[in-house]
Amino acid sequence: MTMRVEHHPVLGSLERKQPFTFYFNGEAYEAFEGDSIASAMLAAGVRTLRQHEMSGTSRGIYCNIGHCFECRVQLEDSKVVRACLTLVKEGMDIHSVAGYKKGGE
Amino acid sequence: MRDLLIVGAGPAGLSAAIEAAEQGLNVHVIDEFPRVGGRLLGQLHQEPNGEWWNGISESDKLYSRALTAGVDIQCETSVYDIEKREAGWHVHTSNGILKSKALLLATGASETPIPITGWTLPGVISIGAAQVMGNVYRVKPGQSCVIIGANVLSMAIANELRLCGVDVKEIIIPKSSLISKEAGHPISVLKSLMKLTHLAPNAMLRQLGKVGRFFPPALAAKCYPAVGIKMFGIPIKVKTAALEILGDKQVTGVRTTKVTASGTPIPGTEKTVEADVVCISGGLMPMAELASIVGCSFQYVTELGGHIPVHSEQMQTNIPHLYVAGNITGIESAKVAMAQGKVAGLTIAAEINNRSGKLDDLIDQAIHSVRKTRAEALIQFQPNIPKTREELYKYYERNQA
Amino acid sequence: MDEMNTIVCRCEEVTLKLIKDTIYRYRCSSREVKLRTRAAMGYCGGRTCRCVIDQITKGMNQETMKNDIQLSYRPPVRPVTFGALGGSVHDNES
Repeated sequence: MTMRVEHHPVLGSLERKQPFTFYFNGEAYEAFEGDSIASAMLAAGVRTLRQHEMSGTSRGIYCNIGHCFECRVQLEDSKVVRACLTLVKEGMDIHSVAGYKKGGE
Repeated sequence: MRDLLIVGAGPAGLSAAIEAAEQGLNVHVIDEFPRVGGRLLGQLHQEPNGEWWNGISESDKLYSRALTAGVDIQCETSVYDIEKREAGWHVHTSNGILKSKALLLATGASETPIPITGWTLPGVISIGAAQVMGNVYRVKPGQSCVIIGANVLSMAIANELRLCGVDVKEIIIPKSSLISKEAGHPISVLKSLMKLTHLAPNAMLRQLGKVGRFFPPALAAKCYPAVGIKMFGIPIKVKTAALEILGDKQVTGVRTTKVTASGTPIPGTEKTVEADVVCISGGLMPMAELASIVGCSFQYVTELGGHIPVHSEQMQTNIPHLYVAGNITGIESAKVAMAQGKVAGLTIAAEINNRSGKLDDLIDQAIHSVRKTRAEALIQFQPNIPKTREELYKYYERNQA
Repeated sequence: MDEMNTIVCRCEEVTLKLIKDTIYRYRCSSREVKLRTRAAMGYCGGRTCRCVIDQITKGMNQETMKNDIQLSYRPPVRPVTFGALGGSVHDNES
């Protein structure tokens, strides 16, 4: 079932352009222009963006507007960004921030 | 060096930018978010006349007016420090140092969390996060949702999520504790919900209002049905509390219990409600951090949502050439924020252009418009806002004198 | 699950129990709680949980909220690299 709100009774229908591909932890996903990394991952059904550095517990978005930093992810140039504030681009190669503890989804 | 730098491209920041630019100032607005509009973006509700308040189109209007007025707007720019130099402000951002004569902080509000066991699981998000996901990015935060925290914000957003096609199973309260305080106390929750009964489109609240006229909140809480009262088909259960959010790698549901009118769990009533997204709604508080690092004085004002930088009705702070507008001055509606932004823009134009006196009439009119907007506000986040505002302005005057 | 194991500070995974025990043992302010437990000292700069820590401290010490901000904000209010602080690298939150 799609997570996209294609039709909305008040906001209207989305005019979708062609989707493009980006990568998260090596897997390919689809996104549309205007998606943040967070919205594209959520639309793809991926909730876990990183593991806590010490405990290894799974974490995803919490505040979605840049306050909590829970959704931080790493880009190819090792730059760490907030998934909720960063627009996803075609071919973007995104990784979970490396923690001390390996394992987990 | 710019005349004016504004931090925050929400309703207050953009309105101030338009006003100041129209008065001839060179204005630059920055924001962390990829889109302008701030908290306006997520807003979508029906006014008493039946018309929809669509925050996205409101912010589009402000954006195009700002561009027409010649305002420079730069998104995806975070501020990490502010320095006051002889010549003006040096604002350290992720895109370098920005310099200006005047600085307006229109940073809005952040959400107050309610820590609950299991709230770090992926799929547990703040209520504002769900709103932005659904209305702005047009992605459902989940298929079925439980909202913890029964307040004006969660009720409005529950309906927005429903419009996005999310099955909002119920709105419940957090378990009574040192952390949840009034939010976990059914009588207090009902008391605050009853104040919202003038919200005409809201059938559930109207019902509560009728009840509230005849019964005190304690009695209303006692009589409140355990199955909740429905609003737009969504049960509001002020006598059901969240014990724990469940899930291993991500959220799968909430363990709840029925509680008495004073919030005491009733043994044997525990239940698991399945959900793939859980939203926490603890309310809003002013985002004071930048005001704090530049050395503003603060007052703690419960009715306004927390620590407020001391300011005048003209939106000046106790620091020369530093101004505030919008939710950083207290939690109110976007319309109030816009009206305040206009005051700030005019005040700044008068001070920077040395035109004090010349814009007095316009500033007075703008202040009058703030008061009027406040009086007509559909949603009073807290009672006594006009009075507490008045006291804050007097405090400012006393301390400037 | 024991409610006392509820995480209050998400960044540093500080529990309600540790915060309560610290306040009880040292009869301390929220600032001291922060320094002793690292609650509100993590990646987000305390933006998420500082008000909760103030609330718990206030509640346990039976105080009213003060006008001064107890858990003060210090720059940088967003994580930046040493490079960015030196002015050479931009826009890095690591």
